[in-house]
Amino acid sequence: MRKRLPGFLLAAPAWAWLAVFFVAPVGMVVWFSFGYKPSIFATQATDRLSFDRYAEVFSPTFFATFQNTLWVGVVGTVLCFLIGLPVAYWMAVKAPPSRRGLLVALVMVPFWTNFLVRTLGWQVILSPDGWLSTALQGIGFEPLAILNTRGAVLLGVVYNYLPLMILPLFVAFDRVNGPLREASKDLGAGKWTTFFRITLPLAQPGIIAGVLLVFIPLMGDYITATVLGGAKGNMVGQLVASQFQTAQNWALGSAMAVVLIIVILATVAVGAAIVWLVTLPIRASHRLVIGAPATAPASASIHEEVAA
Amino acid sequence: MSAPAAQRQVRRSRKAWSDVAFDVWGVLVLVFLFAPIAVIIVSSFNVGRLLVSWDGFGFDSFLALLAKPAIRDAVWISVETGFVAAFAATVLGTLAGIAMARHPGKWVWWFMGLLLLVSVTPEIVDAVALLPWMVFLGQDLGMSLFNDGIVRLVIGHSLFSITVVSYLVRARLVGQEAQLEEASADLYATPTRTFRKVTLPLAMPAVLAGFLLSFTLSLDNTVIAAFVSVSGSTPWPVYVLSALRSGLRPEIAAVSTIMLVLTLIALGLVALVLRRAGDSAADIARTMGGG
Repeated sequence: MRKRLPGFLLAAPAWAWLAVFFVAPVGMVVWFSFGYKPSIFATQATDRLSFDRYAEVFSPTFFATFQNTLWVGVVGTVLCFLIGLPVAYWMAVKAPPSRRGLLVALVMVPFWTNFLVRTLGWQVILSPDGWLSTALQGIGFEPLAILNTRGAVLLGVVYNYLPLMILPLFVAFDRVNGPLREASKDLGAGKWTTFFRITLPLAQPGIIAGVLLVFIPLMGDYITATVLGGAKGNMVGQLVASQFQTAQNWALGSAMAVVLIIVILATVAVGAAIVWLVTLPIRASHRLVIGAPATAPASASIHEEVAA
Repeated sequence: MSAPAAQRQVRRSRKAWSDVAFDVWGVLVLVFLFAPIAVIIVSSFNVGRLLVSWDGFGFDSFLALLAKPAIRDAVWISVETGFVAAFAATVLGTLAGIAMARHPGKWVWWFMGLLLLVSVTPEIVDAVALLPWMVFLGQDLGMSLFNDGIVRLVIGHSLFSITVVSYLVRARLVGQEAQLEEASADLYATPTRTFRKVTLPLAMPAVLAGFLLSFTLSLDNTVIAAFVSVSGSTPWPVYVLSALRSGLRPEIAAVSTIMLVLTLIALGLVALVLRRAGDSAADIARTMGGG
């Protein structure tokens, strides 16, 4: 028999590529974040290491931006969920199956349209000299003054990340659709009971995916805030970018990037804990205790299916 | 026979209002999703000097594209980068995806963890990390390759695409048993030949879809491109971003419209490839919705 190389070596090029162009650069940023900016002409130095840059990040000027970003992130994600949930349910359950492909395509097109271009579209719509503003003035309203406010940024992020909420929710509802819901109805459950006790719990992986897919990139958003936010709608992404591009203070910018990641992870953890605590009594009251052990494999297989 | 029909009849007449509410909400959200895109497309036929104020219908902005080498070059840089980045991501991602599906083990968890980390890291962090890294490799270590604009863009754009291709190829192969490969080996095919004649064709729909998605992702990448690009090789989104400061002209809308058409063609091909490989609407949504 010929000697064969171990198969996992096929993944070696990807390992190496990601190690050199992802792990190493991000590692370097973490390293920089403990350094300082030595002079106007140098971007960073790491001969003296300290937590001073982190202290700087938490100074009032920058901290306000972090608070603002967290507000936009949380409110934006909640709005995406509230707007997207009925749409995904409509696509997967209410709309005729023959139209499903078309509806998916219709959500996909905005999702894949260039992020910057979509956001520019809103800048044109919201512009005080634009046609919407002109039309509103025509029927006696004030000219639009939403551009360059936090409201415009919120509108922009809800718009930009909405497809990332709708698509995983659609996939989740699509999977639940069918026999289980029929069974629930046949056993006499009303539509609300079926929705809250069958559809929603089984769609849980999709909900988690949607919330994370929206929240994480939203917190790091740089384009939406730049195009629609102006000076008032500042987000951390812009702050980090400006440290690297204009202020040329890589040490401070790196510390901001690290703090941003920590804030994202902490918020996700806190959010998960809150959801777990809030649903604790509901889950306890809904727990079904079945005496016969024969049913255990069946319920286990359902859980596996959900987890898959 | 008639009982379920009658029931359905009753249910429909009783539920009508909520179904109508769902229809209205769904259509409203779709209108919301298309509004800014429609505005950009319409604006690209504006003959005025500024994007915001409508002066009349015409093709002037598209003609202006031909006259402006800066935009033309930017589009060309984007297309070139898109192809190279998609190629790199497809090769690396396909190999990794095959390894994960066919040679499972503990290492797969570590690798999946790394892919997850790459895909959830906010783009701005990748961008600000790659900028000093490229400077370090190119200037401090003297590897002039990393001073090249296209190389920098390709590296930046390939990161996320590698995770997309790996996931797709792995998912496609995990869904199919390895029996064919075993049969091929039993019939004395060499591992290389089995790989070429059996594994690769099995994975092909995912490889093609991954290539096209990577191309589109690269074409649209704005944040990483804005940080790593060097003057002389500006991709089109970075050109648009810089035009933001100097005032938006209808040419920006025109180039956006052209790139949108290019993206739609690539996406249409992806859907076609997946459809022919037997995927449902939900499968396609999962593939193209980023997992």
